[in-house]
Amino acid sequence: MKLFEYVARRDWPRVVGYLLFVSLLSAGYYYNLTFVQLGLFDLGVNRVGMDHVDVSIGMALLALLAFLTAVVTGVWLDRTGWSRSLLVKLRLVLGVVLVQFVLTATAPLVATSEQFFSWVVVCAISLGVGMPTTLSLTIDFIPVRDRGYVAAAIAAISFSIAAIYPLEWSIEGFSLVMVAAMIPGIVVLGVLASGRVSVVEKFAGRSESFDVGRFCRPNPVSTWSLTFWTLVVLMFGVFFIDSLGFLRIVETPTYIFTSWQSPSLDVRLFIALAHVVGAGMAGVLYTNFERRWLFLWVFGLFSFTHLLYTFDIRMAQAGEPSLLLPLFYVLAVSFYTTLNFALWPDLSTPETIGTHSAIGLGMAGFLATFLSTGVALYFQAREVSLFDHLNFVNALALLLFFSVAVLLYVRRMIALARGEVA
Amino acid sequence: MRPELIPLLVVALLMLSAGGGEVDRVEILVDGDHTIDQLDHALIVGDATVTVPDTATVSGPIYVIAGDTRIRGTGDGDVVQLAGNLTVQEEAIIEGELRLVGGVRTIAPGAAIAERTSFEPVPQESSPAARIVAFVLQSLVLGVSGFGLARWKPTLLANVGDSITDHVLVSGTVGLLASVTLLALFVFMAFTLILLPISVLGILVGLLVVGYSVVVYGFLVGQHLPFERPGLASAVGSVLFLGVLTVLPRIPIVGSWLGITLVTVGIGATLVTYFGLRRFEPVQLPE
Repeated sequence: MKLFEYVARRDWPRVVGYLLFVSLLSAGYYYNLTFVQLGLFDLGVNRVGMDHVDVSIGMALLALLAFLTAVVTGVWLDRTGWSRSLLVKLRLVLGVVLVQFVLTATAPLVATSEQFFSWVVVCAISLGVGMPTTLSLTIDFIPVRDRGYVAAAIAAISFSIAAIYPLEWSIEGFSLVMVAAMIPGIVVLGVLASGRVSVVEKFAGRSESFDVGRFCRPNPVSTWSLTFWTLVVLMFGVFFIDSLGFLRIVETPTYIFTSWQSPSLDVRLFIALAHVVGAGMAGVLYTNFERRWLFLWVFGLFSFTHLLYTFDIRMAQAGEPSLLLPLFYVLAVSFYTTLNFALWPDLSTPETIGTHSAIGLGMAGFLATFLSTGVALYFQAREVSLFDHLNFVNALALLLFFSVAVLLYVRRMIALARGEVA
Repeated sequence: MRPELIPLLVVALLMLSAGGGEVDRVEILVDGDHTIDQLDHALIVGDATVTVPDTATVSGPIYVIAGDTRIRGTGDGDVVQLAGNLTVQEEAIIEGELRLVGGVRTIAPGAAIAERTSFEPVPQESSPAARIVAFVLQSLVLGVSGFGLARWKPTLLANVGDSITDHVLVSGTVGLLASVTLLALFVFMAFTLILLPISVLGILVGLLVVGYSVVVYGFLVGQHLPFERPGLASAVGSVLFLGVLTVLPRIPIVGSWLGITLVTVGIGATLVTYFGLRRFEPVQLPE
């Protein structure tokens, strides 16, 4: 790892750059996992008294608006050249954090559905601006060589903390803790973004090993290339499968009590540890293998996980299901999250990182979530059983797994036919 | 569930399906304390404590592969003990067959058992002599394999060995991922009945991979031994490494984990090098 080299030669500003980047993305992702995904539902259903469908529409609105804002912001960052300016990006991130600070503080005050939807709109815009801006910081702080491990660290930290805290959800309590935690972050970001601290530029690396992503060597990947859009579609598939399966599992008490929302601290500690191990494994694989292997593992793990769930339902076992089920789910989620954080910067150059991060995160992450929410609602309206629902998710995962395997095989076959491989 | 219980679970499923049982309704208990008052399907006891109280009458067959099973009431079906602890108390009634294959048991003389059969191929507490014979047999197989491979196909062992020494993190990661996933996959294949033979075959191939990785470690150890002939060095190294794996679990806390880690890295190295057919080369990343 380059990080160890920096530590060995006491290049502390670079090390601080790593810490700053990991802190920013972990905090942002943790906020998204807890306050946006869990908190929004709790806010709408339990506090405002809205029904599930209206809240789901709110979440879909959030996803769609966040995606559109992200694309506009990403393209704007690249066209103005701001994606290459560390100071501008830090100022934008500061703005996003300030807006989210206000949103977090005011969340417990939301009392009507109008206020709820207004809150959602502002939250979506802040997330949309934040996504490409924060991920664009990769080219400033993290050398290409370490991106897999850094992405793994972000996934591990955010998921493991989210699995442990909050143990019992209360929007007031969580809002208070988050507001308190954001204040020192805002102060630090404010100082760095002020432009009066010369050390900021020393945190960043400006060289060949930082700028051009791993998959853009020797030739950059164009935004309109087949490679880029194939990866967008694959990641879209991953998020769609995860979200569609998770939405239903969350509503099934048998499964949720042995997984992420379990009242047992032991179970949550187990899940937190599994996230750390899973992300670490994904980091090692991302760094040492080609990306297709990671995609194969992600789809393979998702297929297998849903196979386990459908099998468990078919068996209709009494008592709590085995922890093997959440273990595999956690592995799959850690794998694709790590891949998602590392992939888009590695498919970019400083000229394209804003657009690629926006399309990657916005389309694959947020739009997939929006569509899967819609499909889940449709299934709910049609009273599709849990078994049939998860069977459908499993079929999708298996199809994508099979498609990736076939694509790899056909690619190899074409190379052999052309005599490119001995 | 502990991975070492998976072969026993597959055997239990095999026995259950051979006896005409409903494999798709079987219940497996892998942890916690359970009192079984009613049972109309097959039950497999893993690392759990299961009690059939004196007032209960259960009809499904019970397979014990680990944990503690205490029968005080009436069992209409068979009770099969493959491993673990079984206690049949004075007031218990077993109307089916009590089949004893392995494990530790206490059966009260007054218990009413319709039929009792025993197929214990290995004594419960194997004698030192039996343990030595088992070790010698394993050493013989691994030693001969190590000798043959080092003499005629040394590149295979060298490639896997390089992966163990130069890419320990990658080998460990792939080994862990493959072990966890494949073990779970084989269990679930066994439940389909149709894929049960593949499940058994998969477990045998898994054991082969473990054996292969022990031979590779033997090859690596052999390189540091004062033997000029590589075949002999590898054979002796394999036996020495097997000895280390046998002794390691006796070291408290860290011993077993160290043994598992070594084997996991060996499995991963074997897989990423395609059993040594090619060297593992990580992707080139910019410096």
